[in-house]
Amino acid sequence: MKKLIANVLLSATILAGLSLSAVAQDTLKLPNMSYRTGPFAATGTPHQNGQLDYMTMLNERDGGINGVKIAFDECETGYNTEKGVECYERLKSEGALVTQPWSTGITLQVLPRTNVDKIPMFGPSYGFSAMQDGKTFKWAFNAPTSYWDGASMIMTALGDGDVANLNGKKIAFLHLDHPYGKEPIPLFEKLAAEHGFTFLPIPVGLTEMQNQSAQWLQIRRERPDYVIMWGWGAMNAGAVTEAVKTRYPMDQFVSVWWGAHNPDLKLVGADGKGYRALSWNFTDSEAPVMQDIKKHVVDAGKSQIDQAGGEFDSMAYQRGVLMSVILAEAVRVAQDHAGTPNINQEQLRWGLENLNMDDARLAELGVEGMMGPLKTTCANHTGNAGAWMVQWDGEKFEKVSELLSADRALIDPLVEEEAAKYAAANAPWPTNEECSM
Amino acid sequence: MLYRVAGQYKTSYKADFALFPVRQDAWLLAFILVLAFVVFPMTASEFVFRTLLIPVLIYSLAALGLNILTGYAGQLSLGTGAFMGVGAYACYKLMTIFPGLNLLAAVLMSGFVSAAIGVAFGLPSLRIKGFYLAIATLAAQFFLVWLFQKWGWLYNYSASGAIQVPNISILGFTFAGPTAPAINQYFFVLCTVTLITFVAINLTRGRIGRQWKAVRDMDIAAELVGINLMKAKLLAFFVSSYIIGVAGALFVFLWRGAAEANLFDIPLSFRVLFIAIIGGLGSILGNYLGAILIVALPVIISGVPAALGLPLTPATVDHLNIMIIGALIILFLILEPHGLARLWAVAREKLIIWPFPH
Repeated sequence: MKKLIANVLLSATILAGLSLSAVAQDTLKLPNMSYRTGPFAATGTPHQNGQLDYMTMLNERDGGINGVKIAFDECETGYNTEKGVECYERLKSEGALVTQPWSTGITLQVLPRTNVDKIPMFGPSYGFSAMQDGKTFKWAFNAPTSYWDGASMIMTALGDGDVANLNGKKIAFLHLDHPYGKEPIPLFEKLAAEHGFTFLPIPVGLTEMQNQSAQWLQIRRERPDYVIMWGWGAMNAGAVTEAVKTRYPMDQFVSVWWGAHNPDLKLVGADGKGYRALSWNFTDSEAPVMQDIKKHVVDAGKSQIDQAGGEFDSMAYQRGVLMSVILAEAVRVAQDHAGTPNINQEQLRWGLENLNMDDARLAELGVEGMMGPLKTTCANHTGNAGAWMVQWDGEKFEKVSELLSADRALIDPLVEEEAAKYAAANAPWPTNEECSM
Repeated sequence: MLYRVAGQYKTSYKADFALFPVRQDAWLLAFILVLAFVVFPMTASEFVFRTLLIPVLIYSLAALGLNILTGYAGQLSLGTGAFMGVGAYACYKLMTIFPGLNLLAAVLMSGFVSAAIGVAFGLPSLRIKGFYLAIATLAAQFFLVWLFQKWGWLYNYSASGAIQVPNISILGFTFAGPTAPAINQYFFVLCTVTLITFVAINLTRGRIGRQWKAVRDMDIAAELVGINLMKAKLLAFFVSSYIIGVAGALFVFLWRGAAEANLFDIPLSFRVLFIAIIGGLGSILGNYLGAILIVALPVIISGVPAALGLPLTPATVDHLNIMIIGALIILFLILEPHGLARLWAVAREKLIIWPFPH
């Protein structure tokens, strides 16, 4: 009986939810799967604030994109893959134009569904690196850059422009023991075999993120020439403090872009001097786009950011802004191509694969110097924007390199191989035959 | 009145031992089955299938497996998540080594792998009891999850370390993989769960179930009346792990579509344990009630503010959700410490004698 009552209530709520959502069609539904709760909230929140605030700014300043308001709804996952399924189904039933899974685990669940449900998936600089292959992954995008691109750029930078200089060195790879952390390993292994350096993967389990003494003991014993970190959430702060505690030389410690996170380094302050990270974005709080956000969103009290804590000037927040800049640009391209401001999923997919954000366009968008130029095509869904090395000077991050670019001759064959492997494992897998290359 | 038993005479022992001594129970069950097999498939949307019906059934099945071990045989286990993982990885290996294999056969076979491992980790139960046994099963939990991460063969050496479910069809109907329609998956899960529940009900009512209960209530006394403790305990581990393994295979193949080792970590074990405890240890119905409370209710609650148009941020809704579910769990356990199933049993007793309580 109880079951019955519960079931009746359940169907009633669902029906009510569905009928309400079917009404509003004159908005661009660009939902986001956020996590402001759970163990990864520390890195999730500023990024998602940035994404949200840019979209709010477009709504306030321009009345949306080409006159259509943006509904940037969030669905809370807490980085939990089970909630990810729930959010995906909920957003799909509400007519979402795009899926932003915000987790490699959720990406892996959703990726095979993209071909069936025909909703583009946008995972800016995360997810599966092989998503670059647009021919295989017709509906998935990871612009502006992929993890393999990041790994290649880090290695080139460590070898002063040529990975061959790393011959004979020992490189430890401190990573989260999770699909995300394992993602760049094939690339490192290939490089290690080619250039003769020792590659030493050191996994950090999800339960030991905040207590990495065992891992750092191993690092102290092995004395690697460099430690590369592929961490997320509480793990980065844990690693930075452990590195300081064990007196590991900070200038030999390099992270992927998620490690360019001000609050983690503020914990150690001046002791963290010399710590480097590869970042595809750089902060510029004076840039026109940031000033507009300040004026229309932050000062108007419409933002959730922690102003006193300096979140506005942080790498993570501004990275979130740029993620939305790319998505909004894709919407614009799609609208121009479709000839209507009310686009559908298929049209947005076209927009995402025809992005051309060159220096001139970046300047128009008011983000000059904050990110590198990128161009996506039917066959290349990453756009390969390049990245900078940034270094912690004790108070903030500073740019210490030119815009780096990844070794395409190294990555492209690997992408093709991995994409083919994925398609074979998920047969029958449709490929996009319209792509010539 | 609804539950009046007057006039339902039992003229033979057989009738007295029947599955439903009270006719109304049979009607109620028939009604629920009609709801599950006919009404839901005709009315539910993909969202309802994928976030409410399928997960509730799969979690109920996992809790049922645990309940046989903990509720009927009295052996506390904290390794449920890992045994679900064994079922899932076994099914994955079976389906990738023999791609033409029938999915139902693979799911049912993967239960045996989980059962074998369950028996191996159940061996300590012959010497240790209670909390000490719980710690031994905790070892299984940590060891197996570690194995899922480190043993590349299990996930076919994929770069991400995750397993992905391929498209699998039986007689032209796709049941697993990205192209499978939710309704097919629902029926597959529903039939498997119904079948196993039927077997479990009869198992727990019969000779074996009585042995388990005797072991649970006092194992020395059980031994003295001639029950072979080793056989009874290991059989409980076998049956329980089998059901949990099948639930794990369904969990990944018919619902999630992809899984990494961390999914089977201890939070999953606790979740299933909570379902079993809140539903009611030592009952079959309780698993379903518990799963509805723990799995389905949060999904429904999180949709309420949006449906009512309340301007709450998703993070607030999530926090509220945790608070409401937590409060409900405490409330139900205060009202009836023996779980939801007992709550229903009390209500049923009252209905039978209503409106004349004497």
